[in-house]
Amino acid sequence: MSRAASGRRAAGAGLLAAALLVPLVPLLLWAVAGEFRYPALTPELSGRGLALLGDPAVRAALGTSLLIALTVAALATVIGAAAGRALGCHTFPGRRAVQLLLLAPVIVPTLAVTLGIQVFLIRYGLADTVAGVVLVQLIPTVPYVSLVMSASFAGLDAGVEDAGRVLGAGPVRRLVHVTLPAVAPGLAVAALFAFLISWSEYILTLLIGGGTVQTLPLLLFAAIGSADLTAAAALSLVIAVPPVLLVGLTARFLTGPTAATVGFGRL
Amino acid sequence: MTVTRELRPATRPARVPRGLRVALLLAPALGVVVVLFGGGFVQAVAQSVGYQPYPPARDLSLDAYRALWADPAVRASVGITLRVALVSTAAAAVLGVAAALLVRSLGRTRRGFAALLQVTLPLPHAVAALAMILLLAQSGALSRVAAGLGWVDGPADFPALTQDAFGWGIIASYVWKEAPFVAVVVLAALSSGVAELEDAARALGASAAQRLRHVLLPVLAPAVAAASVLVLAFTLGSYEVPFLLGRPFPATLPVVAYQQFRDPDLAARPLAMAIAVVTAVLVGACAVAYLSLSERLRG
Amino acid sequence: MSGELAVTGLRVAYNRGVPVVDGVDLRVPGGTLTALLGPSGCGKTTVLKVVAGLLTAGAGEVRIDGAPVLGLPAERRPVGMVFQKPLLFGHLTVGDNVAFGLRMRGVPRAARRSRARAMLDLVGLPDVAGRRVGELSGGQEQRVALARALVLDPRVLLLDEPFSALDAELRLRMRELVRRLQRELSTTMVFVTHDQQEAVDLADDVALMLDGRIEAVGPPSSFYADPPTLSAARFFGGVNEVRGTVTGSSFACPLGELRLGVPAPDGPGVLVVRPESLRILGADGAPNTVPATVREARFAGTHRTVVTTAGGIGLTATVAPAVPVEPGDRIPLQLPPSALRVLPDTAATDTTGADTTAAATPAAAAPVAATAPTTEDEDVRA
Repeated sequence: MSRAASGRRAAGAGLLAAALLVPLVPLLLWAVAGEFRYPALTPELSGRGLALLGDPAVRAALGTSLLIALTVAALATVIGAAAGRALGCHTFPGRRAVQLLLLAPVIVPTLAVTLGIQVFLIRYGLADTVAGVVLVQLIPTVPYVSLVMSASFAGLDAGVEDAGRVLGAGPVRRLVHVTLPAVAPGLAVAALFAFLISWSEYILTLLIGGGTVQTLPLLLFAAIGSADLTAAAALSLVIAVPPVLLVGLTARFLTGPTAATVGFGRL
Repeated sequence: MTVTRELRPATRPARVPRGLRVALLLAPALGVVVVLFGGGFVQAVAQSVGYQPYPPARDLSLDAYRALWADPAVRASVGITLRVALVSTAAAAVLGVAAALLVRSLGRTRRGFAALLQVTLPLPHAVAALAMILLLAQSGALSRVAAGLGWVDGPADFPALTQDAFGWGIIASYVWKEAPFVAVVVLAALSSGVAELEDAARALGASAAQRLRHVLLPVLAPAVAAASVLVLAFTLGSYEVPFLLGRPFPATLPVVAYQQFRDPDLAARPLAMAIAVVTAVLVGACAVAYLSLSERLRG
Repeated sequence: MSGELAVTGLRVAYNRGVPVVDGVDLRVPGGTLTALLGPSGCGKTTVLKVVAGLLTAGAGEVRIDGAPVLGLPAERRPVGMVFQKPLLFGHLTVGDNVAFGLRMRGVPRAARRSRARAMLDLVGLPDVAGRRVGELSGGQEQRVALARALVLDPRVLLLDEPFSALDAELRLRMRELVRRLQRELSTTMVFVTHDQQEAVDLADDVALMLDGRIEAVGPPSSFYADPPTLSAARFFGGVNEVRGTVTGSSFACPLGELRLGVPAPDGPGVLVVRPESLRILGADGAPNTVPATVREARFAGTHRTVVTTAGGIGLTATVAPAVPVEPGDRIPLQLPPSALRVLPDTAATDTTGADTTAAATPAAAAPVAATAPTTEDEDVRA
């Protein structure tokens, strides 16, 4: 390898690292900023931003965000895994059509269709409720989990379940001791992304929650709207840290050539 | 002792017939997709032509679409939406492939960089947009650095990169998030099998540039195309980033759709729905184009 | 242009570890086929990849027709390579795969097409140029890979266990094809394999490689009739071994004093004799006849395998199927002097011959790191 080529590579690597990380620096500075007037490069340090996070409104929003995201993740994983099982392990007429049908909501923006059903949610008393928000957030997450799990189930060797059967395991024990452990990585990844999609969602929550259901992204938008950049940056950290940690912890499942990485395209 | 017990047939019939089982497994997911997604789309179309479920109104017309077509503001929105989406997607694809190839060529630091690529991926887009505001705005970090170096005298001197007419801020935010996404997809596609194919090409006399052109890019094309379609679909239909980083006028289609939808005057509803439908159809067309293209490429 | 390949003093180490190839010397005369034979992990593929330019050598020299090639990148070496996997380009048709190298050289389309077709004809696939790669069978894929390498008219063609993934029947047919192509094109070839039968079938010369070194080189028959080392004898398998001491032309061992037809240096050694050379129920008074007891007699199709013990030592003989011996029989067993070879006992402890790879020569145990340059891990890939 020539010296010039390795020099170019090192320069490229440095540039890449800078491009990925530099945009985070102002965010971190603002989160701990008191006075931060132009053209200062570093702020006066202040605990105001981080103290804001103890605010009851923020804590309530954190709770609501967790409630919604965990509910969405649980429901989407169960519903999507069932569909993934059917698609991955069975052939049936119309299978291809079902696959395309499930692909559509992964691609087509949910906002477009949610505008159409908003009146019905008002009519049935689901507008401005956590239940209504959970319901619309199932639109992008269920199809996503279905696709990931159908790939996961398709990769499951049917012989393994037959082996369990021959060894005397009934349907429930086969599910618990054979099938679920085999597809567990897929399930974990699918649930993770369903959680993240819900956790990051703003516009659907606003549209259906009507401002009554306050999640962290709604507070973030409000802070940006009121030009309180310190509060916005501090809220950003609260919103950003769980996803980064979760993805970091599951990174080894995410690098393979799986359908799972597609989830990042939705975030 | 004699135990006479009838042996069960080896393949006893399943308690639930297979067809029913498949149907039961699929029912909840299809319920969500057909009722909420399909129903929502049908309702959006219906409401765009004047249908109102509550209070009932059936004043059907294509006025909203005519207005949409005639309105220069909407046409400007279509322009900026397509521009931002196409530029972001192209830049994310090119930079993502370049980053993946760069990371692959790194020695010991390769794993670290592969992990670094995953830092921006899980960040919510709203956070990315805020980061770009703090970085690129006229009073942002870059402007301050430029002032420190004496290149600009004040915020007004610094070029407008957020809330600008072209949409640079939106594009920057999308590229920062989506180029690593493309890179991660491409890295997954760059398995050891690809390295072996490159070795075969070397043994056949292909230079580094020829290997890139004749082996790597054709091999990676399906993965890059698939990732790009997802990026394009997202950048066409997403609300948060253009709302935070774009101008109120001309705004991108999803922003305009929501603005119109929020209009207290219910007469604006059909226009909002029409814009939503146009956006959805645009995205759907991209996806269909991709699917048919990939089927054709596969032969 | 004869295409003579000369490898001298080749040493390769991955990740600054123990060299996987250490001091390999190999000369392949132009227009001949040498089989590089060895167990998996012995470094034979590494040698091939260094010659091709896909790995860099730590030390040593590779010359083709006298010209050093290690300074050239893989794409500029007059060397073709066929890999274990076909490695065809999935996005190209069969014809375009064969024409790939010509395209890289800027050969005009019409010329590439006709040359690719001609080469496909030669490998026995006349009508597949327009097909997609995915439509081919495993054997067809390797034929295309052969055509793709040969169409460039390489001075040396390297084949890295190209048929190991094919079934036995197909492997035989592919061997014939390689033999025929080699005769018709007189391309110098190095064929890596772990299958001694394949090596013997194909090669003008066999280079046996063990533990990163060339153990022995010679025509295939020599490995049977006159094994150069004990490890070589064991790799070709089924050989009887008797430990003893040479004095003049006699070998003192538990079987008694045996006469040697081929001289060996005085001192301790291991006598090796192939099972098919042993005679049972021989003529009275033949030299080197010892009393033996039959332990086992197995029918093996074309012959019978007779396991005996004589003087407390197990000796295996193969005899015609009709020879009437049964377990328990006491028989005279003759070790014909001309079939006996005494070799230095290089593989110190191993008397079963089961683990040939562990048989290290004293030279291999010499300090390895002394001159080994510490190659950086990525830089070993050229």
